[in-house]
Amino acid sequence: MSEGPPLVEVQGLDLAYRHRDDWLRVLHGVSFTIGQGETFGLVGESGCGKSTVAYQLLGYRRPNARVEGGKVLFQGRDMLRLSRPELDSLRGNRVALVPQNPTTALSPGMRVGEQIAEVLALHGPPDHGIAAAGRTVELFHLVGLPAPERIGRRYPHQLSGGQQQRVAIAMALACDPALVVLDEPTTGLDVTTQEQILELLRSLRRRLGMSMLYVTHDLGVLAEIADRIGVMYAGHMVEVAPTSVLFGAPRHPYARGLLASLPRIEETGPRGRPLRGLLRRDDLPAGCPFQPRCDDAEPSCAISAQRLEPAGPGHEVACQRWRRLDAAAIETARDGTRPVTPLGEAPVLAVKGVDLRYDAAAWWGRWFAASTPPVVSGLDFAVAAGETFALVGESGSGKSTIARAISGMIAPATGSILFQGEKLPGLVRARTTEQRRRIQYIFQNPDASLNPRARAGKIIARPLELFGAASGASVAAGVARALDEVRLDAGFAARYPDQLSGGERQRVAIARALIAEPTLLLCDEILSALDVSVQASIIELLRRLRRELRLTLLFISHDLAVVRHLADRVGVLYRGRLMEVGRVDDIFAPPFHPYTHELLMAVPGARKEAGRAALGPAPSGAPGKGCVFAGRCPVQAGPQCENETPPWRTAESGLKIRCHIPLNELGQRPPTPNREVLSP
Amino acid sequence: MIVLRLLVGRVLLSLVTLLLVSLLIFLILEVLPGDVASRILGRDATPEVLATLRAQLQLDDPAAVRYLRWLAGVLQGDFGKALTSSRPIGQILGPRIFNTILLSAYAFLIYIPLALVPALIQAVNRDRPIDHALSTVTLVLLSVPDFLLATLLMIGFVVMIPVLPAISLVDDTSTVWQYVRAMTLPAVTLAIVMAVYAVRMLRDNLIEVLDSEYVRMAELKGLSPRLVLLRHALPNALVPTLNVTALNLAYLIGGVVIVEKVFSYPGFGSLLVDSLQLRDLPVIEATVMIAASVYIGANLLADIGAILLNPRLRSG
Amino acid sequence: MVLAVTGPASRWRRALLAWRRSPVSFRAGAALLLVHAIVAATGPFWAPYGLSQMGTGAPLAGMSWSHPFGVDQLGRDIFSRVVHGGHIVLLLSLSGTFLGLVVGAVIGLLSGYVRGWIDEALQRVLEALISIPFLVLALIAIAAAGPELSGNPLLVILVVALVYAPRIARIARAAALDIVTRDFVTVARLRGESAWSVMRRELLPNASGVLLVEFALRAGYAPVLIGSLGFLGFGMRPPTPEWGLMISENRALIIVSPITVLGPGLTLASLVVGLNLFTEGLARILGRTVRRADK
Repeated sequence: MSEGPPLVEVQGLDLAYRHRDDWLRVLHGVSFTIGQGETFGLVGESGCGKSTVAYQLLGYRRPNARVEGGKVLFQGRDMLRLSRPELDSLRGNRVALVPQNPTTALSPGMRVGEQIAEVLALHGPPDHGIAAAGRTVELFHLVGLPAPERIGRRYPHQLSGGQQQRVAIAMALACDPALVVLDEPTTGLDVTTQEQILELLRSLRRRLGMSMLYVTHDLGVLAEIADRIGVMYAGHMVEVAPTSVLFGAPRHPYARGLLASLPRIEETGPRGRPLRGLLRRDDLPAGCPFQPRCDDAEPSCAISAQRLEPAGPGHEVACQRWRRLDAAAIETARDGTRPVTPLGEAPVLAVKGVDLRYDAAAWWGRWFAASTPPVVSGLDFAVAAGETFALVGESGSGKSTIARAISGMIAPATGSILFQGEKLPGLVRARTTEQRRRIQYIFQNPDASLNPRARAGKIIARPLELFGAASGASVAAGVARALDEVRLDAGFAARYPDQLSGGERQRVAIARALIAEPTLLLCDEILSALDVSVQASIIELLRRLRRELRLTLLFISHDLAVVRHLADRVGVLYRGRLMEVGRVDDIFAPPFHPYTHELLMAVPGARKEAGRAALGPAPSGAPGKGCVFAGRCPVQAGPQCENETPPWRTAESGLKIRCHIPLNELGQRPPTPNREVLSP
Repeated sequence: MIVLRLLVGRVLLSLVTLLLVSLLIFLILEVLPGDVASRILGRDATPEVLATLRAQLQLDDPAAVRYLRWLAGVLQGDFGKALTSSRPIGQILGPRIFNTILLSAYAFLIYIPLALVPALIQAVNRDRPIDHALSTVTLVLLSVPDFLLATLLMIGFVVMIPVLPAISLVDDTSTVWQYVRAMTLPAVTLAIVMAVYAVRMLRDNLIEVLDSEYVRMAELKGLSPRLVLLRHALPNALVPTLNVTALNLAYLIGGVVIVEKVFSYPGFGSLLVDSLQLRDLPVIEATVMIAASVYIGANLLADIGAILLNPRLRSG
Repeated sequence: MVLAVTGPASRWRRALLAWRRSPVSFRAGAALLLVHAIVAATGPFWAPYGLSQMGTGAPLAGMSWSHPFGVDQLGRDIFSRVVHGGHIVLLLSLSGTFLGLVVGAVIGLLSGYVRGWIDEALQRVLEALISIPFLVLALIAIAAAGPELSGNPLLVILVVALVYAPRIARIARAAALDIVTRDFVTVARLRGESAWSVMRRELLPNASGVLLVEFALRAGYAPVLIGSLGFLGFGMRPPTPEWGLMISENRALIIVSPITVLGPGLTLASLVVGLNLFTEGLARILGRTVRRADK
C-alpha cells in the first residue's frame, strides 16, 4: 500500500429507499477510505446496506433510491454527481464490478469472449499495442481459465459456476481498472471453488496492484483477503480496523458477536458470546441501532447517536461503551457435555453395501435409457443409539442422496439399510407406519419444507393426527409441547411461515419432526440456509434436544466447523464413496485422508500461509476403476491409484482411511491448520 | 445432437396430437349419442329422407370403420363431398382458404408495427403516464369482443365516414383494388385484437429483461442506455415474442370465423359457420381438421424457433 | 430463551388493510362489477319496460330520455332488454367458468401429482382439445348436441366448461408440477399421506392463487364467448335478451340507429373491462402475472 491521497473517499453517505409513500433511510453517514492498492472489506448481515454502499462507488442506484447527503469521491470526482455519459466512461474502465451471481449477470445469449470484447471496444484496451482479441485471450489466461484461446467461444451456461466467476473477473480487469468492486463474489460457490477464486484474487492483486472493495457477509473470507475491514450494521458503519486488529481485538459488541458466531475448526481458544436475535428494521432505536440486540447496552445507548471515534492506530469504533467493555470481553464458552457414546450397543441405523442411483426421469424413459452410473457406491456405516453421525463432503458428493435413501425417497439399487435391526423396505410406501414415524427428515431450506399456506400449529400437528399420539396427549397439548421443545412461544402456532424468520421456520420444521417422537433424525444441511448468528442458536438447540430426548442424528453438512461442534463420529464422502470414517477428534487430527486434508485446508481462514496451489475442480463423468480421488489428489502414490480400489486402513483409535498410502505416511502431513490471523 | 432429438420429438408429438384431434372431432360429431342423420335433418324429416342420408353417410357401418375410412381419405387429401352441393370439398375449400390466407397476411402486416411500437414505448417509459395510458387503452380494447369491434369499425368507416364497403364480397373477377378495399376493415379488426395481446405480453417481457442482472451488469460495464437496450435487452426479449406471434396465429383461426361472418367475406371462417348452419357434416369435419392443423403447426413452428434460438441448446 | 410473539392482526383488519393497499385497477374493477351485479340482481324489478314488451315507442326511434338505447324494429325498448339480460349473461358466464374450473383443477392437480402414463395420456387428450380453436370447439359441440338442445342455457354452460376445462387443467397441472418439487410435499409423502390428502392439504392451497387468477381471467372472457355464440346464432335463442344476440339482431339497423348496437355492445364491454381490471388487480395482489396464453 502506498501512502498518499486515498483512491476512494466516502464521506457521510446518507441514502434512502422509497417504501410505499415514504422514504426509508438505509445508509446513515457512512464514511471510509480505500488507499491505492488496498483491499477494503465491507462486512455485515444481509440487509445492512453493504451492497448499497458498494454500488455507489459505481454511481449506480435503483430508481427508487435517493442520495440524501454525503460524497463518494473516486480519484477526487464525486460519483454521485456525475452525468450518465461521464459514468459510462468510468464504469468498466476505471471502476469495475465483479457481481455476486455470474450465472445471472452474464448475458445468456452472448458468447463470453464477445462480452469482454464489448468492454474493450467501448473503452479501448489498456495497452494500445495489443488487439482486442489478443487482450481477451491474455485475460482468460490471467484468470486461469482452461484453453484461453477457445473458451471465448462458449456461452455462459456452458461454463461451471467457478469458470463463470473467472470470466466475470476477467471482464472486470479488461481495462486495467484502478478499483474493482466485488459484491459477494464467492457466495454461490462451493468451498473449494471459493478457495480457488480467493487465491486468484490474491495473486491478481499482487501482480496488478489494483484496489478492491470486497463486500461479504462472511468474516472468515475477509481474514484471507482484506487489508482493512469495515463492519456495517443497519446502515451504520460501526467499526473500521486493520484486519489483524479486528480479529485480535474487536471493540464494537456487534463485531465481537459476529466474530464469536464464526464457526471455527479448532475448539480450543477464547470464544465470545455469539449474536442473539435478529436485525429488525421496523424496530430501530434513535441511538445505537444495535442496542436491542446488545448484551452490554446501557439505557442511554437507545437515545444517543453513536459516532466513529478513534480507538487505536487506524482503528475506529462507534460505541459509547467500548472502553469499558474491553476488560470483560473475552470469555470462554465451551460445552463440555458431549455424550459419551457406547459403541458396543446395537446400532439404530446400519447401511450395508448400498449403491444408489437415480433413474431416468420419465416413466417411458426407463425403457430406452441405459442405467445411470451410481451416485453412491459400496456404502457401509452404522450409527449407534444416541449418537450423532455426520456425513461431510462437497456438493455432488452424494451425501443428501444417502439421506434420501434412508428416508425412503429412493430405493437402494443394491445392499440394505437396517433400522433397529430390521431391514427397511426401499420406498416409503412399503414401510410400516411405525417406521415412518420413527425416522424423521429435516430439510435444508425451511422456506421450502413448510407449506406456506398452513399455520405453524397445523403444520406441526399433522404428524400427530396421522400417527396418533404415542404418549396419549391431545393434539393441542402435543403442539404446545413441541413448540416449547424448540423454544418457541405458543403464540407462534397461529402464524404462517412467511410471518416467521428463517431461524424460527427451521425451529418449526424441527418441532414437526419431534412431535412424531422419532428415534432417528435425518438433518440434511439444515443450517446452510441460515444466517451465521441463527446457526449458532440452532446448533445449541440440537445439542440440547439430543441430550434430553436421546435422539440419534444423521447430520449432513458441508460445513466442517459445524460438524466439529456437533458430531460424535464423521464420515467423509467424495463422489459417492466414503474416504474416511472415525470419531470426530480423530478426523480433525492426523493422519488425514488426502481429500479430508484438502477439505480442511479449503475452509476460509484455515490456511497457514497464502499461495498454496488450490485444489482443481471436481471432474465430471463417471469415475474410473481406481480411487475416485485419483487425478485430483495432490499426493498421489502412483499408478495403483488410477487402477486399483484403495484398501481400508484402520488406525489404533478406530479411525478408518481408504487410501493406497500407508497411515504412518499420511500422519506426516501437516497437522490441523490453525487460523494464524484469528489467534494473535 | 440434442437439438435434433428435441426437434424430432416435438414433430412426432404434434403428429400424435393431430391424430387425436381427428379422433376427437369424429367422436364429437358422429359418435355422440343420438342418430346423426336425424340430428342433421331435424325433427321433421321424413323416414325416406333419413334413409337416403344414412346411406349417403354409410351410417350403418360401425363407427370404427367409418372413422378409418374418413381418416384414410383425409390422409390422401380427399375430404369427401359436401352434402348440400355434392361438390368435392377440396374444390369448395380451395378459394376460401386462398381468401383467408390473403386476409391473414394483410392483418399480420398491420399487426407487427401495431404490436412493437406501443410495447417499446411502454417498456422504456415504465410507470410513467404514457405507460399507464397505453395500458388502459390496451385493457379496454382487450375487453371489446371482436364482433363488437368489427361492428364499431363498421359504424365508423361505413356509416359515419363512408369510405369502405360494409360487405366484403369478392370473387375471382375482383380486381386487386377491390380486394384491398374489401379486406381493410376485417384485417384491421384482426390486427387490433392480436396486437392488444402482443403489446401487453411484450411490455412485460421487455421489462423483465430490463430488470435482469445481466442488463444491470451491461450498464455497469459502461454501456450507454441505447447500447444496453439494443445489445442486451432486445435480443433476449425476442424469444418470448415469437411465442406471442404463434399464439396470435392460433387466435387468427378462431378470429376469422367471427370477422369473416361480420363482413360476409368469403373465406374459410365463414365457410365453417355456413356449413354449421346447414349441418353439412363432411364440410364441418374438413374445416375443423384444417383449423386444428394450422393451430398445431403454428405452435410447432414457435417451439422449433424457440429451440433453435435458445443458446442453451446451441453448441459452442 | 423463548422467542416471544406479537399477535397477528385479525382477519378483518388484514382484509381492510389489503383493500386500502390494493391497486387502483382492482378497486375500479370491483366497483364496476358491483354495479353490474346490482343491475343483474334488481334490474327486472325496475326496468322501465318488459322484456319482450312491444310498442313501447316508434320502431327504430333513436336515443332519447325515455329510450336511452333506442327502440328496435318490433318496438321493444333496448335499454330494458339490456337490463333484463344482465343476470342471464352473468349467471351463464360464472357457472360455466366455475364448472370448467372445478373439472379442470381436479384433473390438472391429480394428473400433475400422480404422473406416469395416466398423466401422459391425459396430457395428449387435453392438448388435442386445446388444439381446436375454442370458438370452433364450442360451435361443433353445439352442432353435435343437435337442434333440440339449441338455445338451452344448460348447453351453453356445458360448452363454456368444455372449452375452459382443458385449458384450466393445463394451468393446474403446471402449478402442481411446480409445487410437488417443493420439500413440504416430500415431507407429506414421507409421512405416508394419500394422493387425495396431498392434493387437498398441500397442492390445492398453494395452487389457489393461480387458480383464482385463472378463474377471473376466464370469467372475463366467458361473456365474450357466449356473446360470440349468440352473435353467430348458435347460443341463446330470440327473444332471450342475451347481449351478443341483441347486437346480432340489431346489426341490420346500424345505418338507421347505431345506438341499438352500441347500447348492448358497450354494456357488454364494460362488464368485460370490469372483470379484466379485477383480474389484473387480483393478480398483482397475489404477486402473479396474468398470462393470456390463449383467449
